[in-house]
Amino acid sequence: MLALDIQNLVKRYPSGTEALKGVTLQIPEGAFFGLLGPNGAGKSTLIHCTTGLARPTSGSVRVFEHDAVNHYQHARSGVGLAPQEINLDQFLTVEQVLDYHGGYFGMTRRERRARAGELLEAFSLTEKREDFTRFLSGGMKRRLTLARALMHRPPLLILDEPTAGVDVELRLELWRYIERVNVEGTTILLTTHYLEEAERLCDRIAFINHGSIITEGSVGEICDHFHVATLEDAYLRLIGRDELSRA
Amino acid sequence: MSSLDSDSGLSAFGSPRRDGRRPLVSGGPVTVGTRRIRMRALVGREVARFMKIKRQTLGAPILETFLYISVFGAALGAAIHLVHGFRYIVFVLPGLIMMAFATNAFANNSSSILQQKFTHAIDDQLSSPASPLELLLGFTLGGFLRGLLVSGISYAVAGALVGEPVRHLLVLLPSIALVGLFFALAGVLVGVRAKQFDDVALYQTFVIQPLIFLGGVFYSASSLPQPFGTLTHFDPIYYMISLTRYGFIGFRETSILVSFLALAAATAALFAVDLWIFTRGRYLRS
Repeated sequence: MLALDIQNLVKRYPSGTEALKGVTLQIPEGAFFGLLGPNGAGKSTLIHCTTGLARPTSGSVRVFEHDAVNHYQHARSGVGLAPQEINLDQFLTVEQVLDYHGGYFGMTRRERRARAGELLEAFSLTEKREDFTRFLSGGMKRRLTLARALMHRPPLLILDEPTAGVDVELRLELWRYIERVNVEGTTILLTTHYLEEAERLCDRIAFINHGSIITEGSVGEICDHFHVATLEDAYLRLIGRDELSRA
Repeated sequence: MSSLDSDSGLSAFGSPRRDGRRPLVSGGPVTVGTRRIRMRALVGREVARFMKIKRQTLGAPILETFLYISVFGAALGAAIHLVHGFRYIVFVLPGLIMMAFATNAFANNSSSILQQKFTHAIDDQLSSPASPLELLLGFTLGGFLRGLLVSGISYAVAGALVGEPVRHLLVLLPSIALVGLFFALAGVLVGVRAKQFDDVALYQTFVIQPLIFLGGVFYSASSLPQPFGTLTHFDPIYYMISLTRYGFIGFRETSILVSFLALAAATAALFAVDLWIFTRGRYLRS
């Protein structure tokens, strides 16, 4: 079964900018899928179209066969999103963030309480449960954002540059969490600018640029596609900066 | 990382877990839940927000209402004889209570939505299975409850001091509820459309407040010289105040039925506009 099935997705903004130009992308269930591309390539727009934060101009998005555009309720309940920017509600405590999120997704009070307890424990946030989010450190905010995305047990987790701007320790910690999540069966769509992150975590990768998928496959297949030895060189070729190659 | 053990279960999406267990950090049954649960969470979040900053959202407006009562009712009121047979404090109190309800319902929703748009915290609600109607009602009821709380506390204390019983409860309750709903919906509309805090302040300072003040909170329109008396009739707030005043003390300057139907129609129209915006995703979804 496909966790995410995107067909001919077009997103044109009122300004006329075409952020996605007929993207077709299929992510099988259980995959750890990386979406790489330069800034403005269309990565975030694709994620927003999948999660309902943007309205596609045309095309279809299906999450585990549920239509994510017109009959979105089941599709959205199957997706957890950890966005690029920390967007925690500053008026809520750590526990409330998880509790209300679970409520938006229809979890009963008992389910929410149990699940929040599990996640706070798993992400080492139990002692901070009563603290307001604005008093958390950057690392704690990142962990809470990931915990919130997992709160309603989504089978598809979307991570939009989850390690952007974090220190080495936190990056390794986050990698450990998301690797574990994938091993346990959750399909992951990861966007990142860190090529070593994609190489280490992802079993399949797609390159996107100017709103189109350029190529897709394993690291080896992508290198073959660009006739280069490393993912970095493939990326440099994608963006037309071969002169920066360290090979 | 501590315990990552799991109990058993199946995913509602796709295949059973690879190891047949429901892990702690991921997987497990997913449902869209009931509308009631989602609504409670959406409204609960709004209430949690204004309770978190209650000195600003409840304390300040209650104090403001009492300052109005003190200055206009007690201090200035002592120099004013009766207004249409009522003590001045009794005459102005219904308008002040309505004003507290309206301004707080409006301010809460416009600020809350704009703040959430700024921080993108609203994405958490927008990417959930909650329908446009649920989202709209969630935001609307948040401001409505704040307005109800502020006006309720203000009336409980001021009403006891003034000692004037409510004359027409069956008119008052639906009327003031509609007023609160109207301004809560207006707050949602402004909050959704606003791009900066200036936009919210603009409506509050240059539209809502003048219309309320000129709608006859502190005076009777019939006592105004022309053309101001007639002009007041073009202020929609005038009819809201008239309804509320009739409910509280039994004095009316307009047709109660016509005023009520007009208010109900205006509220329904505003609701329809808001729902259209939420359904289309205008200003909220890119």
